Amino acid sequence: MKSGFLGLTKTQLAGLVLGVFGLFLPFLLPLASLSIAGHIGLGIFFMAAIFWMFEPIPIYATSMLVIFLQVVLLSSQGPVYMDAELPLSEPVALEEGQWQIPSSALKNDNTVLLAVEPGETESISVYVVDRNGQHVIVESTELDADTAIITDTGHRLVNYQPNSYTEYLGTLAHPIIILFLGGFMLASASVKYNLDKNLTRYLLGPFGSKPRYIVLGLMLVTAMLSAFMSNTATAAMMVTVILPIIAQLEPGDRFKFGLALAIPIAANVGGITTPIGTPPNAIVIAALSEYGIDISFTDWIIVAAPLVVVMLVFAWWLLLALFPPSISRFNLKLEGKLNLSPKAVGLYAIFAATVLLWVTENQHGIPSSMVAFLPVAALVTGRILDKSDIRKLPWDVLWLMAGGISLGIGMDKTGLAVWMISGFDWGAMGYITLILTFSIVAIAMSNFLSNTVTATLLMPLVISMQASGIMGDDFNLLIIGVVVAVACSLAMALPISTPPNAIAMSTGIIRTKDMAKVGVIVGVVGVLIILAYAVFYWPMVTN
Amino acid sequence: METSDIYILCIEDEQEVLDAVVRDLEKLEEQFPVETATSAEEARSVIEKLLENGKKIGLILCDHILPGDNGVELLIELHKNEQLHASKKVLLTGQAGLEDTVKALNEAKLHHYIAKPWNKEDLMSVSVELLTDYVIEQEDDVLPFMGTLDAAKLSEFIRSGRNVSDS
Repeated sequence: MKSGFLGLTKTQLAGLVLGVFGLFLPFLLPLASLSIAGHIGLGIFFMAAIFWMFEPIPIYATSMLVIFLQVVLLSSQGPVYMDAELPLSEPVALEEGQWQIPSSALKNDNTVLLAVEPGETESISVYVVDRNGQHVIVESTELDADTAIITDTGHRLVNYQPNSYTEYLGTLAHPIIILFLGGFMLASASVKYNLDKNLTRYLLGPFGSKPRYIVLGLMLVTAMLSAFMSNTATAAMMVTVILPIIAQLEPGDRFKFGLALAIPIAANVGGITTPIGTPPNAIVIAALSEYGIDISFTDWIIVAAPLVVVMLVFAWWLLLALFPPSISRFNLKLEGKLNLSPKAVGLYAIFAATVLLWVTENQHGIPSSMVAFLPVAALVTGRILDKSDIRKLPWDVLWLMAGGISLGIGMDKTGLAVWMISGFDWGAMGYITLILTFSIVAIAMSNFLSNTVTATLLMPLVISMQASGIMGDDFNLLIIGVVVAVACSLAMALPISTPPNAIAMSTGIIRTKDMAKVGVIVGVVGVLIILAYAVFYWPMVTN
Repeated sequence: METSDIYILCIEDEQEVLDAVVRDLEKLEEQFPVETATSAEEARSVIEKLLENGKKIGLILCDHILPGDNGVELLIELHKNEQLHASKKVLLTGQAGLEDTVKALNEAKLHHYIAKPWNKEDLMSVSVELLTDYVIEQEDDVLPFMGTLDAAKLSEFIRSGRNVSDS
């Protein structure tokens, strides 16, 4: 597989070449209706999408590269826009209704661009009376002695007002990233003081020793933990719980497939429950907030949790139907003792306070990202987490999300997002078709790509459908955003679909075909459940 | 199962015993190729060749009584090689006296002592545990080893090492 060059596989090498080509591609096919900045933005989008798909460099590296390119190529302080000024001129009044303007201001289709606001232009049609070299005489009732006419219609500032580079860099401190930082630090401390294991022990107790209820218990506990911790860490922990159970089965017993599949399914689905459950949620929430829709922690749970419960119960039924239990009871031995050292107790208090404040956001109104700084500050102040723990946080995931948010800002700012969807007649699609399309595309993509990347690539399109107004009043931005977030987490047909799948597959207990069969069924039923919620439940709770 | 670049090296002068060791480790061989040597001299050249080709040696199972340098001397010498520092070292013997064994423990950081005649299950479980420790210490991605080695220990490492996350 390795091609030897830079230690990349052939696919990765192809991705590297294609990605670099993609960066320049928009300039090879000038797209008339797209601004120069839009061309740059499109190049960055192509490169990022290809790099994220083929992974010639790690996905977080692509995110950092996106931010770097945006800062250099799109910001008002970068070399491209540093000294840029839009060349303007005022028309010279001749006789009645006729004006003399520079010939460079007249476009081929006899229109003239007027600068309205920074970054905005208005196009007016004029009647050409005469041309004399550098000037043209035109007739128009819309011109005025102090109208600002753009004299270079292909200028890089036409239809683009660059923003400060700090906006792109600032995505790393975006409220949603800070929310995740809070979640990561709580999770890290929970692992350090074994809170996750001890909670599992207590929560599994009531489910007894009957195999079917043990599976249900495992799934509910996994989902509950992964709603607050990373799906991956939860899955790794739960694997240590199920291995001793599986060891009690006969070697050829198919029930073990169900047990081993229950963990990644519940971890993936559980991540949907809260904003901090899994990164795609963050991408969706950040994109919506850029558009002025702020979803509170409580709102998200109200929207997402009922779907999670239905998905879990369905998956439980499915696993038991496919892989029925063969023995009547299990010996579930979970050893461990609750850590009662002062630091551990401090963690429990901080954990409880934070989660309580998060889920009651609607009652007190303190934004969840602000609450998230409570664990950040308290855990290090109390020396519950030290320097080495901070260094071990998944910073790569924070950068991955920041790059995704930054890409979205750039696509919106350059007019690229609106331009991308303008070529397709979305209006002809009904609400139901639209939801089916987005959920199926998201599930299909994120089976092969990172869930976060899928959300990142789809959200700018969702936002621009709203911004451009082509969907009319039927369009509910919030619902389509939730559809994307949920669908990204329901892709689990392959070992590469999500890290929890990879962990479950690595144990060697399940076969790829079992995972594919169950994953495809969960995906298809998931689309139907999403549709049902989008039609009956979400309109009720989001208005 | 994909073959990894981590090798198991068995050093033993009696061919039948060597064959028995290799046979007992059959289940690991798919992922961890086994190399053999019948003397200290041969072991050195096998190691040199493997390291030259960018391979790693995860586990060294060594008999004490060998032609030329004995096993303990060999292990102490190998331990001085930085590329073999992380390799797990096992003395598989019936004839190493207390003095030699202590020396191996102190100077070669011997990880395990298996007395001959050995029990097949013991040899296997010791090898699995030591290789599990080796991949935890040396490999960036431990997932490929979960099927062969100690899955619970590796999962626990993924959880507590906090080195994987959602993407």
